[in-house]
Order: sequence, then structure tokens, then C-alpha cells
Amino acid sequence: MDKDTVNRDGTAVSAVEDPVLQVEGIVTRFGATTIHDGISFDVPRGQVVALIGGSGTGKSVLVREIIGLLRPAAGSVRLLGVDVWNSGPGELSRLRRRFGMLFQDGALFSSLTVAENIAVPFREHGTLPAALIPPLVGFKLSLAGLPPETGAKMPAELSGGMRKRVALARALALEPEILFLDEPTSGLDPISARAFDNLVRVLSDALGLTVFIVTHDLDTLLSIVDRVIVLSGGRVIADGTVGEVKGSGDPWIRDYFSARAPAG
Amino acid sequence: MGDASSWLRFETENRTGVLRLNGVWRLSNLGAIAGALQSFAPEACDGIVLDGSGLEELDTAAGFILCRHLEEAGCAGSALTLRGFQPRHEKLLDLVRQRMTCPPAAARAQHRGALERIGVATLNVLRLLRVHVGFVGVVASELLVLLRRPKLFRFKETVSQFETICLDAIPIAALVTFLIGVVFAYLLGLQAQRYGANIFVVDGVGLAVCRELAPLLVAVIVAGRSGAAFTAQIGTMKVQEEIDAISILGLSPVQVLVIPRLVAIMVALPLLVFVGDIAGLAGGMLVAAWQLDISVPSFIERLHGVLPMSAPVVGLVKAPVFAAFIAMIACRMGMLVARDARSVGLNTTSTVVQSIVWVIVLDALFAIVFQHLDI
Repeated sequence: MDKDTVNRDGTAVSAVEDPVLQVEGIVTRFGATTIHDGISFDVPRGQVVALIGGSGTGKSVLVREIIGLLRPAAGSVRLLGVDVWNSGPGELSRLRRRFGMLFQDGALFSSLTVAENIAVPFREHGTLPAALIPPLVGFKLSLAGLPPETGAKMPAELSGGMRKRVALARALALEPEILFLDEPTSGLDPISARAFDNLVRVLSDALGLTVFIVTHDLDTLLSIVDRVIVLSGGRVIADGTVGEVKGSGDPWIRDYFSARAPAG
Repeated sequence: MGDASSWLRFETENRTGVLRLNGVWRLSNLGAIAGALQSFAPEACDGIVLDGSGLEELDTAAGFILCRHLEEAGCAGSALTLRGFQPRHEKLLDLVRQRMTCPPAAARAQHRGALERIGVATLNVLRLLRVHVGFVGVVASELLVLLRRPKLFRFKETVSQFETICLDAIPIAALVTFLIGVVFAYLLGLQAQRYGANIFVVDGVGLAVCRELAPLLVAVIVAGRSGAAFTAQIGTMKVQEEIDAISILGLSPVQVLVIPRLVAIMVALPLLVFVGDIAGLAGGMLVAAWQLDISVPSFIERLHGVLPMSAPVVGLVKAPVFAAFIAMIACRMGMLVARDARSVGLNTTSTVVQSIVWVIVLDALFAIVFQHLDI
């Protein structure tokens, strides 16, 4: 166990030259339609990266390919130094304890209470003494900004915003090194959405967490994101800080940023 | 590496206590860290210094366990001084201390005692009966609307439901009733042979299959097959808010979803029972020819002579009543689905159980009523 953490420590030290996520030449086809036509980018440790693009450009699909749920037609993904599509089930399972994923609708287990949902990763993967689990679950709940009473509720009794927070608490359970968020603020009111953004930023700064966000939310982009990757027509058409991307001449990007221009 | 001193050391420097943290404070080592913390129980906390210069890694879980232990030991946040922490570790501890002000999450509700469970279950059954009766009223009034405005009837939907309820179920219904006919004739034959009364097997098989076995078995199959499907279909639509969408578009969910299913199943079940009658008699005929030396023509001739027309008619009359109960229960249970995936499964199970119980209860009632009417 110690050896493992020392190794992890090693990768942390050499983070500067070794990105946590390398995507290379991803090609995706559904039948005759090509969704992705050679997508490549690297993400260094500790960065908050947003992936944007119009509806149907395959943003969620790309995330599923990165975390090993959907096999791309071509290309490779290296996540935390592991080649996702060329490694055995044991290696993948070890990898999956090192990243968290927040699905679009939370994907909470509907037959378990909120507290049990968050305890699942602890029970299944952890080497934790059972007595430590309930206080840790309570702490993760409050870390995600939820009151402790929430723990006893069933997922069906929660509002959309609360579901997302519970899902975030579950995704954060195993102290991931990289967190994938699929439209984390969609369906939230602006106040909750900004609170969620701030939470993500604080966690990223304090924990050195790398965050990969698929989003449509312009405010998220302008407030907490270090870097934006724009997907269009199956390719990355822009990649840089918000300012750099905003300045590019592409019509879709121009429309996207001006969609709210009068207010800002 | 295993003892407490590899994680933390408490020393006294110039009369102030210093707690030095060492090593990799991560979730994977949490058990050992929590154990090591137990050894740290200072008498007084005033002016204790927390030294993080030996700390290699710190995550929120370990930070939380540390802060919780310090708080329990009476060392509140303000009495502590942090020293030598890496900036990100200090930030993390700040975050943890901000967020840990609440007690641990409450456990799930206590288990109920046996008596309480019986009471709750009884009340649930009564409540369910009441909503079923209410639902029958709603469907009846919608049927009246349909009588006045027949154009509202959804013919296409009804036909497509009929196809899945009836046509697709013919093989399974025929198979089950055929096998029951075989088993029944075989057992009856064993008894009749002893008295040399082989031919009476025809009377027994004809009466039992047409009057009881085929209607009952086919109804149970349809309850399991189509009843469960109704609840699952309507329940899934409820989860996806499709039923609300139907209402908002100015349509009646009962007209769109319930009545086509109700009509389709009420037409389908008698037809399936008829298929069952034929298959059951065929099963009996096979055994009669094989085991009892009753040839097919003499079986048919005997059947023609002894089977009263009332027997198959009684079976066919019962079928639509069974069908109506199955449809009502199944559609109602679908509408009662809550907005989560689990409740679709629970309600589907409940539909099958309720429908089968009701089919058997109704069958018993029919038996008593027909007895009194001398049919």
C-alpha cells in the first residue's frame, strides 16, 4: 500500500512534464456518421478544463471514451499514465479508483439512501475500518454543500440540484486525482450553479484536483475555468484560455460568446 | 512503519506542545492514521502547534479525521497554530475546518416491529383498494365520454396492443394448456382404468379444461405477461414525465393509455381461452389415444355427446372479467409509480401478484354463483 502511494507521489512530482490526461487521434463513428475525426489534446495536473461545443458534437461521448466506457474507432487515451484502451481489467479497475465521474443526471442508485450511495465507493474499494465510514460520509455530504439530514433521504426525494451535489460527494469519495463533470450546472438555478462552480474551484485549488468539465454554461467558463477546448465538426477548433478562445475568428465561437452579450 | 510515531509525534518545545505530522496522509492509509491519532490525547490544548513540515501528502479524508480528532480532544480551531505546512495543505485544512461543522449523517430509519409491519401492510392494502375503486370510476366515466364521442377511440393503439397481448401469447398459452391437458388426462386415466371406466376420462377432461383450467391458466399467463408489461410501460412513461406531457397536450391519459389496453385485453383473453380449450382437449386426446385406447374419433364423438355447451361458455364468460381486473390493476399500478426507477420494478411485481390473486378470487366467486344458478 505504501509503495503505491510513493509511486503516486512520484507522478505528482513529475507532473510538470507528465500530463494526467493525453488524448490522441480519437475517431468515433456511429454507423456511417463520423462524430470525432481525430481529436487530440493534453491536460496537465491541477488544471480546470472545459469542453464546449454545440449539441450533438459528441462531448459526452468523448468523456465516455476517456473514462473507458465506450471504445473509440481509433486513437488512444492515456489517463493518469494508463493506456485506457490497451490495459487489462485489473489495471482499469485500479485506475477507476483514481478518478471521479459526475454523470449528467447524477446516476444515483435509486434503491439506496443518499448516505449509502456515498458509502458505496468506500465499502467496495476502500480498506477503511467500518467505524470510519459514517463520519466520512457525513463529511463528504457537507463538503458538497449538503445538510446532514440529506443522508437519510432516498434519491427520488431530492431536487435536481441536490442530486448533483450528492453525485459530486460520491465522485469525491475516493479522493480522485481527476474529476469528470458532465454538464454539472445544467438544470440548476444560477445561484446554485455559481455555488457549485465555486465549490469545484475551491476543491481544485485545495486538493490539486484536475477537473474536466463538459458544459454549456457560459458563466462557468468565465468564472472558474483555466482553459477551454472547443469541439466542432468532429475536431478541436480552438484550445486555450477563455480570452484566447474568445478572440478566435470561428463563427460558432463568436455566436457562443455573444449569445449573452447584452447582459455582460 | 506500523506504529503511531511514523504518522505523528507529540513533543514539547519551550513548554509548548508540538504535534508533528509525518508521511502520506491519504485515504488508503486512513485506518492506520486513525489508530495513531488515538494515542494522541493531550491534557491541555492551549497553544498547541500543528507542525506539517514532515507531511508529504494530505487529502480531505485524512484532514477530516485529523480535525475531528482534535475537536473531540477539545482542541478547538482557534487554539491551534499551524506551522510549516505547504500552502496547498494549509488551504485544504481550512476547507475541511469550514465544512465539518455538522454532525455525521443520520442512519437509515429503524426497523419496524412485527405488529407495526402488519398494521402498515394492512393500511397499505386498504389504501390500494380505495384507489383501485376510484380508478374504476375514472375509467368508467371516460368510457361514457367515449360513447358520446366515439371518434376519440384509439383504434390503431388498440390493435397494436391486441397483437402483443393475444397473437404473441398464443404459443405459450397453447403450450401450457396442452401440457395441463396431458397431465390431467393421464392422472384421471390412472384412476378410471382401475374401474374399466376409461371412456369417462373424456367427460372429466372436457369439463375441467373448458370450464376451469384453460380460463384460469390463460388468465395467469396474461397477468404475468401483459399485466407486467402494462405497469412497466406506463410506469416508465410516468418516470419520464410523459404522462404529464399527455395531460398538458389536452389529452386524457386514460383515453390514450388505459382504454386501448383495457379493450384489447378484454377481446384478447376470451380468444386465448378458446385456444387454450382446444390445446387442452388436444393434450387429453393424445393421452387417451396412447394410454387408454380411446381413438381420436371416439374421443370426439364422446365429447360431443357429454360436454354441455355451458362448460366452454362459462369459461369464455369468465375471461373478459378476469381481463378487466388485470387491466385495471396493471394500469393503475403503472400510474402509481413514483419518479424513480426502483418503483417501476416494485409496482410491476405488485401488479403480477395482485392480478393473480384477484383472478383466483374471482374464479372462486364465479364457481359459487354458477352453482346457485345451476349452470
